[in-house]
Amino acid sequence: MKRLTIVLLLIAAPLLTAAGIHKFYASVTKIEYVAPKKSLQVITQIFTDDLEKTLSERSQRKVHLGTKKETTADVELMKQYVIKKLEIIVNNEPVVLKYIGHKFETDQVKLFFEVNNVTNLESVEVQNTVLMGMFEDQQNIIHFKTSENRRSLILERENPKGLLKFD
Amino acid sequence: MKLVKLLSLVVLFSSTGVLFAQDVEKETERKPGHTNENRFKQLYQEFSTPNQYRSANGAPGPQYYQQQADYVMDIELDDENARIYGEETITYTNNSPDVLEYLWVQLDQNVRAKTSQSPLIEPSGAAPVEQASSFVNKFMGEGFDGGFKIDFVKDTKGNNLPHTVNQTMMRIDLPNALQPGAKYSFSIKWWYNIVEHTVDRARSGYETFEDGNRGYVIAQFYPRMAVYNDVEGWQNSQFYGRDEFALPFGDFEVNITTPADHVLDGTGVLTNRKEVFSKEMMNRYNKAKKSYDKPVMIVTQEEAEAASKGKVRSKKTWKLDAKMVRDFGFASSRRYLWDMMAVKIGGKDVMAVSVYPPEGNPLWEDYSTLVVASTLKSYSRMSFDYPYHKAISVHAKQQGMEYPMICWNYGRPDKDGSYSDRTKYGMMSVIIHEVGHNYFPMIVNSDERQWTWMDEGLNTFVQYVAEQDFGEWYPDAIAPNKAYPSRRGPAKNIVSYMAGDQDYIAPIMTKGLNTYNFGANAYSKPATGLNILRETIMGRELFDHAFRTYSQRWMFKHPTPEDFFRTMEDASAVDLDWFWRAWFYTTDYTDIGVKDVKKFYVSSKMSKDIKEMIAARGMKESDLPPLVYLVEEGSDEFEESMKTQSLNDVTTLQTYLMDNMTPAERANLKQPKYFYQVTFEKPGGIPMPIIVEYTYSDGSTKRETYPAQIWRKNDAEVGKTIASDKEITNIMVDPDEETADIDTSNNAWPKRKKLGEFDTFKEGQKN
Repeated sequence: MKRLTIVLLLIAAPLLTAAGIHKFYASVTKIEYVAPKKSLQVITQIFTDDLEKTLSERSQRKVHLGTKKETTADVELMKQYVIKKLEIIVNNEPVVLKYIGHKFETDQVKLFFEVNNVTNLESVEVQNTVLMGMFEDQQNIIHFKTSENRRSLILERENPKGLLKFD
Repeated sequence: MKLVKLLSLVVLFSSTGVLFAQDVEKETERKPGHTNENRFKQLYQEFSTPNQYRSANGAPGPQYYQQQADYVMDIELDDENARIYGEETITYTNNSPDVLEYLWVQLDQNVRAKTSQSPLIEPSGAAPVEQASSFVNKFMGEGFDGGFKIDFVKDTKGNNLPHTVNQTMMRIDLPNALQPGAKYSFSIKWWYNIVEHTVDRARSGYETFEDGNRGYVIAQFYPRMAVYNDVEGWQNSQFYGRDEFALPFGDFEVNITTPADHVLDGTGVLTNRKEVFSKEMMNRYNKAKKSYDKPVMIVTQEEAEAASKGKVRSKKTWKLDAKMVRDFGFASSRRYLWDMMAVKIGGKDVMAVSVYPPEGNPLWEDYSTLVVASTLKSYSRMSFDYPYHKAISVHAKQQGMEYPMICWNYGRPDKDGSYSDRTKYGMMSVIIHEVGHNYFPMIVNSDERQWTWMDEGLNTFVQYVAEQDFGEWYPDAIAPNKAYPSRRGPAKNIVSYMAGDQDYIAPIMTKGLNTYNFGANAYSKPATGLNILRETIMGRELFDHAFRTYSQRWMFKHPTPEDFFRTMEDASAVDLDWFWRAWFYTTDYTDIGVKDVKKFYVSSKMSKDIKEMIAARGMKESDLPPLVYLVEEGSDEFEESMKTQSLNDVTTLQTYLMDNMTPAERANLKQPKYFYQVTFEKPGGIPMPIIVEYTYSDGSTKRETYPAQIWRKNDAEVGKTIASDKEITNIMVDPDEETADIDTSNNAWPKRKKLGEFDTFKEGQKN
């Protein structure tokens, strides 16, 4: 049922990448495991316009982000949306993303989340469907880093999750 | 005898490292030989051999040729049905030394034909749930009926020409092969349905405004000649929607018939201005030609809004004449405002023009034309004087696309006319970028289908320069920012891409269609690479001269990547093969750090090593010349007292000085007190210069740059000995983050625990 509400908000599927300039739909999420702090540090970076547009479509009202017209409800909506779309499973257990804050940089917004009490990291599964309902060719790129490892995932609508194993 | 011994000792002494290494090697297996894998190896294997068409210096060769395609066209825009009808006569000149049996014509609209291969090359999975309309669209509906409907292809006598359509390419078989130097004319008649670009994301099409009127931004609207050249033969690689275009130059005479209440502007000189302009518009136009500081409205908002209320049945024809262009585009609507101003470029007047619907205001009337004028100045400085007579910026929702003299740009305020900084800078940046495309690739006509980076990368680089210029020239327009907030250009902005998983990174020298992260690959990375060359490796003077040389050599011609690489070196005397290899041909990244710092003190006391060495050779201490020893702090031979002694206390040195120099000479000598051996490491593949900032105990700093060539013999680590009269307290590699170093945790000595972005942000939240 939950899924249905999301899907109902989809708009007509864009066919091709337009443009001589950057309209490639992509977000970048950096996840770093800091073992001494038992912490997963998550920074997710999204084009503000795309996010604004998606949230406006979903809520059927004009949402403003990073402008004078931004309301606390708008920010709350953004936060809840990203938390809902960015699912992280550590050692086969879904984890809770604790919202730390956000900041706007040029045309993108960065949201900071933390997962506490992560010990013995064996595997991380990430599903990131941010903006995929809105833009058919949205790519969500995940960079995962530990003190020994750097791994990446490119998540797309047809394949929105990936598993990283650390033995 | 003594002399021989001494000599052997000196040799031994100066090359102990080498001897030691050989001793060890004897005990291990002999290594097999290898080919030259040095990162500074020249690019002879990667580059094709220079020839009569393309010279080794990067300039067009003595036999360089290019084809010409001239068009005479009649076009009708059918606003009622959103269709284009066209008939054209193409005159093709074969300047090549080859005999051509057939010609290839591009049918770009076929990318939207029902039979298009574009959706077929994209792998897809079944989405578990689908919106009904999308489902219908995908699985049940007829879909948009796009693609060219070709009515005929005929020769000048009216005979049908045999032609074969292969997706977006059409081969026309010539009755008689086209000889070198000969011309051939033929005609094509066609029509197609225009796509609604705001719904079906396309590079051209129409937008429907709330009042039902349409704004048309029209391109790829006619069958266009493909490029034939000395490197590709026919460039007939299919158009799938991403990799853009390869087009020959030619002259265009285009008559476009629209509803009489439309405002139209496009590529070329409007030759019947008096027929299509009202008297009032003519007066305003003449005023605009003399206005250098602010735009003059040719069609005002009131006029556009009044025109939007009606719909006339009559038509009018706009006649446009363009010389030496590679393509043609136009924009047309009854809902357009139009403004212009003049800008002096190289002593000549160019018109900066904007066309936009009222939906774009107040943003567009305030900035668009100013940004166009500013862009022309910056790009002309960086490359060559803008050779066309006008540059138009058209506002089309969600568009960012370029054609000769005209481009479509996004940036729309909210309905109440307010807009965020993001919308404003997004709009300014896209205008700078698309107007900039007039230079690359509209004039420096590289092959976009194959090498996206050659136009997008070079253009994004100059865009950064132009953005910074704009901020400087119009401080009020960017206030309260001090500098224009550019997104691409600075080295540190590319780090997260360069640090990514190697499985998902392709070298820049990859066809755009086959890259993973198109934006970073074809725009940001090459632009950043050029910025690093300009600011860090070559310096602005050498870089700018070489970049201008490339631009001017290849204006109105078809360059390849090698022509660019070769020219940049030929015009600057900077060997950049290593940089091209690393930055363009591989996915290597930069990571340079300080591995180790050893501190030494000077002593006249013979060290243990030397004692053993001379004993083994049956020599005595008195056999040796005066020697000065460097003793590492903390080593067995180190004594606390060494810390306080000066060079005057080193007897061997003093004896030497007294014997060989006059007091006056001695007084002029430097008196270094501190001696260091700094070891730099390079875990990254790219051999960047080592930029080091040394900080001394008195707080002063000194910058030193060791050129990239320091890595030529040892790719992993290199040492530097430093003698200083002040104690070094800190060493920082790449202090201004100008080399795109992906891991800065090893950049400082002593190691500094630098807070990462996350922790920095979290700390900041607490306060």
